[in-house]
Formats: sequence, C-alpha cells, structure tokens
Amino acid sequence: MTTVAQAILNGMMTGMLIAIPALGLTAIFAVLRYVNFAIGAYATVGAFAAWYVNTRLGLGVFPSAIVAFAAGGFVGLVAEQTALARLRPSGALAVAIASIAVNLILENLIRFIFGNDLQGFDLPIARDWRFAGLRLGPQQVQTAAIAIAIMAAVFLFLRFTRFGKAMRAVADNPDLGRLLGMDPSRIAMITVVLGAGLAGVGGVLLGLDTAIDPMTGSRLLLSIFAAAVLGGLGSIPGAVVGAVMIGIGEELAVLVLPATYRSAVGFATILLILSLRPAGILGERNI
Amino acid sequence: MLKADGLVAGYGAAEEILKGASIDVHAGEIVTIIGPNGAGKSTLLKAIAGLVPLKGGTVVMNGADVTRKDALGRSKAGLAFVMQEKNVFGTMSVAENLEIASFGNPSGTTARREAIYARYPVLAGKRKALARTLSGGQRQLLAMGMGLMTEPALLLLDEPTAGLSPKAAEELFAAIIELNNSGLPILMVEQHALEALEISTRGYVIVTGRNAATGPGKELAADPEIRRLFLGG
Ligand SMILES: Nc1ncnc2c1ncn2[C@@H]1O[C@H](COP(=O)(O)OP(=O)(O)OP(=O)(O)O)[C@@H](O)[C@H]1O
Ligand SMILES: [Mg+2]
Repeated sequence: MTTVAQAILNGMMTGMLIAIPALGLTAIFAVLRYVNFAIGAYATVGAFAAWYVNTRLGLGVFPSAIVAFAAGGFVGLVAEQTALARLRPSGALAVAIASIAVNLILENLIRFIFGNDLQGFDLPIARDWRFAGLRLGPQQVQTAAIAIAIMAAVFLFLRFTRFGKAMRAVADNPDLGRLLGMDPSRIAMITVVLGAGLAGVGGVLLGLDTAIDPMTGSRLLLSIFAAAVLGGLGSIPGAVVGAVMIGIGEELAVLVLPATYRSAVGFATILLILSLRPAGILGERNI
Repeated sequence: MLKADGLVAGYGAAEEILKGASIDVHAGEIVTIIGPNGAGKSTLLKAIAGLVPLKGGTVVMNGADVTRKDALGRSKAGLAFVMQEKNVFGTMSVAENLEIASFGNPSGTTARREAIYARYPVLAGKRKALARTLSGGQRQLLAMGMGLMTEPALLLLDEPTAGLSPKAAEELFAAIIELNNSGLPILMVEQHALEALEISTRGYVIVTGRNAATGPGKELAADPEIRRLFLGG
C-alpha cells in the first residue's frame, strides 16, 4: 500500500515537471500546427545552460532556471528561423520530421561541447522528509513549487494579457486574427520562444533530481509527447493533466514491470489515444 | 470611399476565380453583391480585404491606394471584413472576442466594447459565454461587433444571414440598416438577394468572376431577367 502511495506521489512530482515541456510542445502545436520533436533537445540545452551557470558561476536553482528558459528559447528561435519555418509550406509532417533532425543535431552539438559524461548540479544535500511512511525530498518540493509557479504564470499570461489572448486567438483562427490587426507569423515566433523556453526550464527541473547528459531531453521526449497527446494536442490544461497522468502511470508501471518498460507507458498511451480518441482528454479538435 | 477596379485573383495555380471584377462603394451606401454559387463573391470580398493576393487590379480606399497592402494594412486603412464562416474565435468568450478585435488599435477598448454591448444587448447578456455556444444570429452580431471594434470606415459582410431562421435574418437586416443609418457604409454579399437589394442603395451581379449587371437596388430587384436568374421568379 505504501509502495503504491509512494509511487503515486513520485509520479505526481515527475508529472508536474514533465508538464512544463509538454506545455511548450502543446503551445507550439496550438499556434504553428506541427509537433516539434526538437523540444527534447531544447530541454537538454536548458539543462546544460543551467548546469553551467550553476556549477561555474554558483547561481541557485531559480536564477539557473531563468537562464535555462533564455537558452532554450533562443536556440528554439534560431532553429525555427533557420530551418523549420522554411519547411512550413511543405506541410506539418515535413516540419515534424525536420524537427527530429534538429533534435539530433543539437544533441550532438551538446555532446561535442560538454562531452558524454553525466553532470551533476551543485546543490546542498538535504535529508528526505518522511510522513506516514512516505518519503519526499526538499529538492523535489522546490522543483515542484517552481513548476507550479510556471504553470500558473502560463495560465495567467494566456488568460489575462493582451498578447496571451492574441496567441489563443491566432491558434483558433489565424485568418480572423490577421483581419483584426494581429501578425500571425510574429505571434508564432514568440510562441516558439515561449515553448522552447518552457522546454529548457523543464530540462533543468527534471535534471536537478538526477544528473544530466546529452540524451537527457531525448529520453524524456516520449513522456512529453505522450502527455501532450493524452491531454489533447493544443490544449494547455490538457498538457498538465496528461503529464501528471503519464508521470503516475510510469511510476505504477515499474511496480509490476521491469524498469526498462517505463517508456512502454508512453508508447501505449500514444497508441491508444491516437486510435481511440485523437482529440485527447481536453482537446478541442482531432489532430 | 472604396474603389476596387479590375480585380484578378484566385487560389494557387488553378484558373483565376476573379477575372476583372470592379466594385465601388460611396459614403453612406449599402451595396449588395449577388450572383450564383461559386461565382467568386466571397473571393471578391477576400481580395478587397487583403486575404487573397491580387494578380491584377487596384484597390483604393478613401483616396489611398492599398493594392499592395496586406490584410493588416487594409484593416488600418479602415476596412473591416466579417467572413462568411469562422468569423469569431469559438474557443474564447464574447468579451474576449470583442476585446481582442481591437488588437491593432487598442486605445479605449473598454469603452468601445461597452458601446457594442449597448448596441447589441443580447451580447451583453452573454459576455462570459464561449463564442461557439452562441446561436447563429448572436454569433453574427458578435462578428459584426468585432468588425466595429476596429472602428472601420467601411464594413464588408459575407452572407450575414446565411443559416439564420427567417426571423433572425430579418433582425439582422434591421441591425444592418441601423448601422448604416449611423453613417457606416456597408458592402455585403447576400443569398437572400431580394430582401438585400430592397434595402440597398445599389447592387452588383457577379457571374464567373466578372460584373454582369449593376444598378440601384430596387431596380435590380425589379428586373425580370435578374428575378428569373437569381430571385427564384
Ligand atoms: N480557399 C480556397 N481554395 C481553393 N479554391 C477555393 C477556395 N475558396 C473558394 N474556392 C473556389 O473558388 C470558387 C469561388 O468561390 P467563392 O467562395 O468565392 O464563391 P461564392 O460566389 O462566394 O459562392 P457561394 O455562394 O457558394 O458562397 C469556387 O469554385 C470555390 O471552389
Ligand atoms: Mg461565398
């Protein structure tokens, strides 16, 4: 019983972290209508940028996360401008495939610069908290708190700012947006910066717990994509709900299956959702 | 006011849809475009609004040549276009739709939105409702309200009464007349050709992308040939 409760708790914690890059993926999908698999590499870029300023400059978790946002957003914008945006006339599939290539290129660039070794963050060592037989690390709580703050900020931005509303409007109906004075391509670029930046923050939050290497983001990609698909591609609340469900599902799966089968949860979810309910739980429309 | 001359436009490599159509609208007018299905009426409004690229012809708005301007530039020049379909943001509330409609010109948004609510009280009662939950007539009023939020000099309406019940269509025509009486010129495409021509200063008949006939609304509505072709008798 306690093991199940512990798995659910751990799953919720990881799920909230997966939610951040899943928000990025789903936001980019909502506005630009393609699945950006380079989100994995943007997460790795963010993780390494944060690791660098954390271990070399001694910055704490919070400022490092801001650096991760900036690094992810910048790399995402460059990739969009130099490669992905040019392919948009060829359709969403071409862009999605190109984003896999971008993912590989970035991953190998990081390997070239930082090497293949595992890198750990410089964090104070703290003892886990225990209550009712459950364990919870203070670091987990801090990263979860940051994740919740980021989700809240994204919701508030989309709900209450003029620009956030314009983003939702263009995602809904770009032609109408253009008639009303919005510039859909500019809004798309800002969405890319925001989405890739969120991926970058997600990368560092997920890396804080363990250690990072050039594959960090690519390993998470399946869970991120599954979370977004489960919640409904393009749905912001859906990405959060989907991520928490995937996080819990993965932790529960490894209670009964060997740990190598963890990613089977993501695969199975994607297969099931795409064949049974392509719009996902909270999605507006079918893919 | 609006002078669109010899417009040529289409979609991609296919044959052009507009083959040199011309439309004028003068201050204070209601001008109606009628014609058979697929004649290019919607394409004509889109070409005027800048949603379809022009391959020929000129668009002059209040003396300024806007031919080379995109939809954004035409909107700034005073054109507001209410599309035939997908003319509101369905996933956003009525209030958000009106607010975001002033994106290109945001000063005084709240006051302008209140003016729309005063003009269309049914929308005021639905501020928080998602636009996709509105009835056809309410959605059309919202779409027109969004056009008004841009403070246009000319309103383009594509089949505003399409899909409405006879009663809702009648109410919408009343709303169009009221808007026009407040000084706003209107250029619309209508399937309810007879009703539309009756309230129009002038009308145009467009067939296969070209002007086929033009004249005062009441004269066109009374023309036996036009009645036979478009007005069902
Ligand atoms: N986005 C598009 N891409 C390609 N072809 C289009 C597009 N929109 C319209 N067409 C074609 O252009 C032609 C004219 O269409 P348009 O919508 O302008 O006609 P219409 O006069 O408004 O007709 P209706 O009375 O049915 O609204 C049609 O043959 C239509 O199939
Ligand atoms: Mg039409």
